[in-house]
Amino acid sequence: MSNTSVSDELLVEATNIDKFFGTIKVLDSVNFQVKRGEVVVLIGPSGSGKTTLLRCINHLETVQNGRVVVNGKLIGYRDRNGKLVSDREANIALQRRDVGMVFQRFNLFANMNALDNICLAPQLLRGTPKAEAQAQARTLLARVGLPDKAAAFPVELSGGQQQRVAIARALAMQPAVLLFDEPTSALDPEMVGEVLAVMRDLASTGMTMVVVTHEMGFARQVADRVVVMAEGKIIEEGPPEQIFNHPSHPKTQALLAAVLH
Amino acid sequence: MNFDWAYFWAQLITPSGAFLVGLGLTIIMSVSAQLLGFIIGLAVAFARMSSNKYLSFLAASYIWIIRGTPLLVQIVFIYTGLAAAGILRFEDITVGDITFPGNLQAGILALAINEAAYMAEIYRAGISAVDRGQFEAAKALGMPPMMLMRYIVLPQAFRIILLPIGNQFNIMLKNTTLVSVIGVSEMLLVTETINSATFRTFELYSVLGIYFLFLTSLWNIFMGWAERHFALGRPAAKSPPVQVVLEAHQ
Repeated sequence: MSNTSVSDELLVEATNIDKFFGTIKVLDSVNFQVKRGEVVVLIGPSGSGKTTLLRCINHLETVQNGRVVVNGKLIGYRDRNGKLVSDREANIALQRRDVGMVFQRFNLFANMNALDNICLAPQLLRGTPKAEAQAQARTLLARVGLPDKAAAFPVELSGGQQQRVAIARALAMQPAVLLFDEPTSALDPEMVGEVLAVMRDLASTGMTMVVVTHEMGFARQVADRVVVMAEGKIIEEGPPEQIFNHPSHPKTQALLAAVLH
Repeated sequence: MNFDWAYFWAQLITPSGAFLVGLGLTIIMSVSAQLLGFIIGLAVAFARMSSNKYLSFLAASYIWIIRGTPLLVQIVFIYTGLAAAGILRFEDITVGDITFPGNLQAGILALAINEAAYMAEIYRAGISAVDRGQFEAAKALGMPPMMLMRYIVLPQAFRIILLPIGNQFNIMLKNTTLVSVIGVSEMLLVTETINSATFRTFELYSVLGIYFLFLTSLWNIFMGWAERHFALGRPAAKSPPVQVVLEAHQ
């Protein structure tokens, strides 16, 4: 089910990213690109830096070196005569509107129901009129299979339902790219399928997606490209058939042997 | 025991006009100082948590000084001290028939400044207690810091700090008695004045205590309602019974 609508246009371009947590180097000169319409799946052992790389794309993490460009715009920093200086919070917020994110722990706003979770950002940030935002939210809830949960608060929803509302919330901003940070890792096994189904559906519509996951079945079926990370570096990347059937790097072979058996 | 029941009941049920004015002043002072404390406290909390280290230091110093010195000292300092130093004299303000006395202004201000320091720390605790994921989700959607605070974090922090707020106002109600020291005729000063003429100290202070107990009890009842209404983790709105909705699908 590989995506056929991949263009040559680079939507995300991360160049030479170095990232430290204290003295530990979690990202080591990482170069990472995503084309418009592409579904990229990031895999790797825990601590390999895949979630950190994902969080650099919308500047939830700062970087010590390198630059991230999304949709032609430098994220988080301004170029002042070749030197990068931190951008103002308000500008960073503006840039993040085009990058949607789905979290491992869903992070639905606990103080509002599903409908308001989805409506809030378009109303506040895009100036969408309330009636229109609500109509859009109801359409999105139907799309993720929860048409009757508009009034439900997060505490009243199962993990799988919360994650589907979270996907709808991200989609409501009509982002250029959607980031998924281990979206099924916090779910009970029986709820993984319903979330993956929504993600498959999204991929088939040509949504640009970057997915950090341990779901190898999903990676194999849905990804246009699989990127393998280890110890803060990208060690191998390619189409899923190549990565899963003929992994070249020994660490990739070890990882796949560990998760597929 | 020398206890004049008739005098006690008379003072309790038909208090003097001055005492009722004192009761009014207690309520006016505590409510307005608490409201000011909410506002100033929030500003101080934001300054304290600011990434600007000068602003943060200033806020931390404010909290340190106010919480580190007695309220009684602060009240005298603001009303009598500032005037004696020629810095600020609180003058009576008259609008129409209503006079807003200088010492009442100073009293409310001192209570508010004191309250703000405690409120700032309560806000800070409440904001810190909101799950980091809530901040991240709002940021990822593109909300700037103030919007994130207003729509996501503060509503959740408010539920967390409801109990400490209840506690603070309870203390505030009783702390208004300290303003008697600068001559505001709230309930304690009125009681002292009557006492100096009658020496019925036991009866008069029993009545005074009962009036405070009445005020704090009313507040407790209100807080009990508020706690149920804004219960943590539950929606404030009337949502349909979940169980029934879920069963309908099976």
